[in-house]
Amino acid sequence: MGKKTRVRTVVAAVILSIGALLITDPVGGEPTAKAVLEKAFDYYRGQSSETEVDMIIHRPAWERRMTLKGWSKGREDALIRVVAPAKDAGNATLKKGREMWTYNPKVNRVIKIPPSMMSQAWMGSDFSNDDLAKSDTILEDYTHEMMPVTSQDNHTVYTIRLTPKPRAPVVWGMQLMKIRDDHILLEQGFFDEDRQLVKEMTTSDIVMLGGKLFPRVWRMRKPESPDEYTEVVYREVAFDIPITDAFFSIPNLKDPRVR
Amino acid sequence: MSITAKISWRNIWRNKRRSLLTIGAILFASALLIFSISLQFSSYDTMIDAAVKRHTGHLQVQAEGYHTDKKMRLVIAHPQNLVQSIQDLSYIKAMSSRANAFCLVSSKQRTYGVWVAGVDPAREREVTTIARVIRKGSYLSDETAYEVVLGDILAKNLAVELGDELVLLGQGLDGSIAATAVTLRGIFSTGQPEFDRSALQMPLKAFQETFSMGESVHELVVVATDLERLPDLARSIRERLESASPSEGLQVLTWQQLLPGLEQSIRVDMVSGWINYGIVVIIVAFGIMNTFVMCVMERTREFGMLMALGMRPSQVARLVLLEAAFMSLLGIFLGVVGGCMVTYYFQIHGFQIPGAEQIMAQWGLPSRMWPRLSLMSIFTGPAVIVMVTLLTALYPVLRILGLGPARALRAL
Repeated sequence: MGKKTRVRTVVAAVILSIGALLITDPVGGEPTAKAVLEKAFDYYRGQSSETEVDMIIHRPAWERRMTLKGWSKGREDALIRVVAPAKDAGNATLKKGREMWTYNPKVNRVIKIPPSMMSQAWMGSDFSNDDLAKSDTILEDYTHEMMPVTSQDNHTVYTIRLTPKPRAPVVWGMQLMKIRDDHILLEQGFFDEDRQLVKEMTTSDIVMLGGKLFPRVWRMRKPESPDEYTEVVYREVAFDIPITDAFFSIPNLKDPRVR
Repeated sequence: MSITAKISWRNIWRNKRRSLLTIGAILFASALLIFSISLQFSSYDTMIDAAVKRHTGHLQVQAEGYHTDKKMRLVIAHPQNLVQSIQDLSYIKAMSSRANAFCLVSSKQRTYGVWVAGVDPAREREVTTIARVIRKGSYLSDETAYEVVLGDILAKNLAVELGDELVLLGQGLDGSIAATAVTLRGIFSTGQPEFDRSALQMPLKAFQETFSMGESVHELVVVATDLERLPDLARSIRERLESASPSEGLQVLTWQQLLPGLEQSIRVDMVSGWINYGIVVIIVAFGIMNTFVMCVMERTREFGMLMALGMRPSQVARLVLLEAAFMSLLGIFLGVVGGCMVTYYFQIHGFQIPGAEQIMAQWGLPSRMWPRLSLMSIFTGPAVIVMVTLLTALYPVLRILGLGPARALRAL
């Protein structure tokens, strides 16, 4: 006890892979697409973060709820641990850059996720490993193009089209992100090479969380099955907590006391 | 025997060598077709058999939609009831239940994503050949042990030896995280690289425990006593399913649906087979046509004389047609007898194409081949040849019909 390690988690944010945001510089005219994106990323992630979220995997016949705790630092590092249900508690995922490791307490093993598995579902949800691991690489792997600006609830909304650079190691043919002028990500659409929408993430319930406006609910779903989705609901968020790079390590991935 | 028949029979033997050559061509062509068609179709059966016995079985009962989606939740909830409701059907040779899950398999150094199958060790032996192609160690035996057998290529990729520990990490039926450590008990090699690279089996009970499956499974694999009985068997299982438990949502899939690639490759092969046979038939047809045309030209004066004596051109034409019919029937008869004898010999003894073992292994086939006679393989080729010979005889016949006695007599 004593030490208050205030780490914070961005679990969900990370999970969501999303990011974005923008700048409305009241003085400086139109922001560039990339600047908008970077701001959004930095906004929802902060310098670092500590979060606690519920992840609800919804299917027509069943629903499953997990509680996750997460920490992130900068754009690259994240650690996410299952807190509930008890059966799965202790399972954890570590992301550093584009690499991911997963830890299972029952077999007490750390497994590095092989590249071939990156497009698989993460913990059975509608988020893929890639959604986590590559969430920040959309800044480098894509070219960004500003689409016509719209407005919603008295906010300007920027729509940015992301097209992968020729050799970028990405699975999507295109992404569309909608970001509000206060840096809040509203929507992210993932399209295949034929520009067909494959899955879509939307945020809602924008409230004060961790000292700033933040969407409390992030939902990922596939357009062909509206009854199947994964929802991440933030319980607690703290931004800009003190946390070292060394926190994101294999020993901490395995240590259930880090929570 | 009518006079025309008698004359035509004699005509055939007037030029023995030519007739014998023609008959020989027909004989050889029909024998060849019988042998190749018998061989071709038996090789399909062998391919189907090899593929089916490697993993899929002749048919499977699964939950509706499982085959396309492979969703863990699409289960057969009460496999025992299902087995009981169909086990008295005839033509069932063996049955075995399985459950599958996609998971990460991790050795000390490496991790791969593979489909893990939970199998009933005792029954699985009757359904597939895996237990017989174990190259190292032994097959699963204990129903509840946490051990696995896997393909040799996968073993190499994971860099594991017998007795090593592997970790499986996936998702359970209830959505929970499923993880377990298992011991490597055996390594198999089916000769089919795709399968040996990706297949991993563990005992069903241990699988159900790990993946929170309870008693449920994903597929009931059925092997029939005879490939030909399969449609009947599939039909009766479907009927039982409908009458016994209307709400279970189970479906019956045959190997054609389970292995669409196999059926397609058989179809493609069949097309190329038919093209080859077509070429053989066309070559034979030209040979025969040559004989007929030659003989009609050579015998134009003879026909002129017959017509001068009072035979109508149609009667002369009938004479020539009969000659053709006699020759082709004779050739076919001898060809069928000879072809069947040769084919039957190899059907009993088999034969091996030297150096083909590797290619055969790629297709998962034994290197020895056995043709198999069937009514279809015996009669298809000869029937086509009869039709083609008679068609080729048509040209000289048409010529004769247009011939007058005076012109014919003056011909060279």
